[in-house]
Amino acid sequence: MINPRIDRSTRVIVQGITGRAGRMHSRMMRDYGTTVVAGVSPASDGGNVDGVPVFTSCRNAVAATQAAASVVLVAAEHLLGAIEEAVEAGIKLIVTPAEGMPVHDALRARRLTQAAGATWIGASTPGIAVAGQAKLGFLPEASLAPGPLGLMSRSGTLSYESGYRLAQRGIGTSVWVGVGGDPVKGTRFAELAPFYAADALTRALLVIGEIGGTEEEELAAALTAQRFAKPVFALIAGRSSPEGVTMGHAGALVHGSHGGYAAKKAALERAGVQVCASLDEMTEAIAAWHAAAPYNPT
Amino acid sequence: MFLLEHDAKTLLAQHGVAVPQGTLLEQVAIEDDGFPPGPWVVKAQIASGGRSKAGLIRTAQTAGELQSQLRGLLGATHKGMTVRACRVETQISAAAETYLSFMLDPVAAGVRVIVAAQGGVDIETLAATPGAVRRATVAPHLPELAAQMTKLTAGFAPHLANALNDAGSALAKVFLEAELALLEINPLFVRPDGSWLAGDAKIVADDNALYRQPWLRKLLGNRAVAYVEAQRKLQHGCDYVVVDPDGEIGLLTTGAGLSMMLIDELRAAGLKPYNFLDVRTSGLRGDPARLVSVLNWIAEGRRVRILLVNIFAGITDLGEFAQLLLAAFERAPHLRIPVVARLIGTRSEAACELLASRNIPVVTDLGAAIDQVKHHLAR
Repeated sequence: MINPRIDRSTRVIVQGITGRAGRMHSRMMRDYGTTVVAGVSPASDGGNVDGVPVFTSCRNAVAATQAAASVVLVAAEHLLGAIEEAVEAGIKLIVTPAEGMPVHDALRARRLTQAAGATWIGASTPGIAVAGQAKLGFLPEASLAPGPLGLMSRSGTLSYESGYRLAQRGIGTSVWVGVGGDPVKGTRFAELAPFYAADALTRALLVIGEIGGTEEEELAAALTAQRFAKPVFALIAGRSSPEGVTMGHAGALVHGSHGGYAAKKAALERAGVQVCASLDEMTEAIAAWHAAAPYNPT
Repeated sequence: MFLLEHDAKTLLAQHGVAVPQGTLLEQVAIEDDGFPPGPWVVKAQIASGGRSKAGLIRTAQTAGELQSQLRGLLGATHKGMTVRACRVETQISAAAETYLSFMLDPVAAGVRVIVAAQGGVDIETLAATPGAVRRATVAPHLPELAAQMTKLTAGFAPHLANALNDAGSALAKVFLEAELALLEINPLFVRPDGSWLAGDAKIVADDNALYRQPWLRKLLGNRAVAYVEAQRKLQHGCDYVVVDPDGEIGLLTTGAGLSMMLIDELRAAGLKPYNFLDVRTSGLRGDPARLVSVLNWIAEGRRVRILLVNIFAGITDLGEFAQLLLAAFERAPHLRIPVVARLIGTRSEAACELLASRNIPVVTDLGAAIDQVKHHLAR
């Protein structure tokens, strides 16, 4: 089963740690509480980045540190190779934020991570986080507060905005997964449903979808098939977008009735999901649920 | 990116796939040399399905009829798109119409193959007849795809099965080599002698693979006017789409999802946004050039009366962003309209101070920013 739960003890490597983004995000992840045990750079001379040892390969990094997760901060054209290397080194959770991965590469990466039983989150994702514990990627702190709401999103910025508004209202998140904006990706909404159903700290789920593709429809089918028992709220961006034009995300492209807002809304509602028309409506709906179901973790 | 039919067929022809002889016309031709042999089909080149139903595909028997069809189609609009060009091609007669497509299957992580012995209408209509449409998903490798074709066409009339198998191998090769997301041939014409050709071609190409697909780079270079958005992304590193030529609100925003949602909410409030933008603040790297370009594009909107800046930055230094924004305003003097800015992220205080010195109000709440926009427009 896909398992994105991480905590302070999760041992993480950063592939591409010596690059500009690699350095910056390693520092920011560590500041948040993430245990970054090693970096990988093929050109490493055995030195370190801010005290984190840098190895020439994933295999060496894993052998020396027993790392279980990797954040891959390399350019899109090198993602497939980096994912391959992480899988071969035995890494079981791989997060790849870079935008622009060729879609046939993504198809291969999905095949090889699935075959290895590894969880791949991405590409084109701001990452995952367990608020107050650790984050893999660059979800902003202003949006992260611990709480009972599972959150999964195709969009980075719309999830930041949603998490921020909810945090302002005192509602935090349990496990936050940015599945990313690409059409072919490592982990899809429906594949996370069993995890959120089983996760004891998640008591409701917010799904932030958008036009294009069929992830929302697949999720609706999965929720129904699994008899998903927790409340689910959804926000879907792009209902007024023109047909045939890619709206920023490669996955956000509508052709004819395929991938349109109406079909997604209808499918989710049939599965018992409360589909909210605006950010305000979503915030109010979740606040109402939260107020009616007070939760005091002991 | 969705290719116009003419460009899709040009790609197929470059790979040795037979297509009806045709040419692209951007104006009503005065002389008739250069035309393929008639009678003709005149096909409007726009990025939308359902062209037949919309009357955007017509036939012509004589040169005079051809010119009048071109006159009727060029400049016509459909779903907000203007027909800028038509493909004129030789009409194919006395051929069976079949269906064949390949597309990425993002769930099974393979290539979905769909075939039907009877094509010509859209696939949803075909699928209504039980057993008419056959499909399977296989690994993205040529031998597997070719083998699957043979299985799927088993039981078809022999000349159809042979033609589809042959076409399947040829088209699967194009699909993999050109790194396509979708390749749909409907109809795939099969002549009584078993020869076949692609009557229509719907292709979605992957602009992320552009750096290793020279044909796609060349297409964007040669036909920039037909692929404005993709060309712009390549040149400027940001996504920009005019969503309403009569829009009143210019948007300087980052993030695809939040920008889409903002447009939805503005429209729901009865307001008229002009453009979609994912400016990608993290890619500015201390240079205002991209912001200058964006401001100049927005200045082209004749009815744009206000600029709404919305940046929810995980990592961007907003102080630096505000500096770049002010520098960009200096360099884009055509855009002289009020600005409302909503900024959240690191060093937002520095940004507030800088922008306030130029009379640009900064708020942290998006609802408050939208209220200010409304207030300006009501004046």
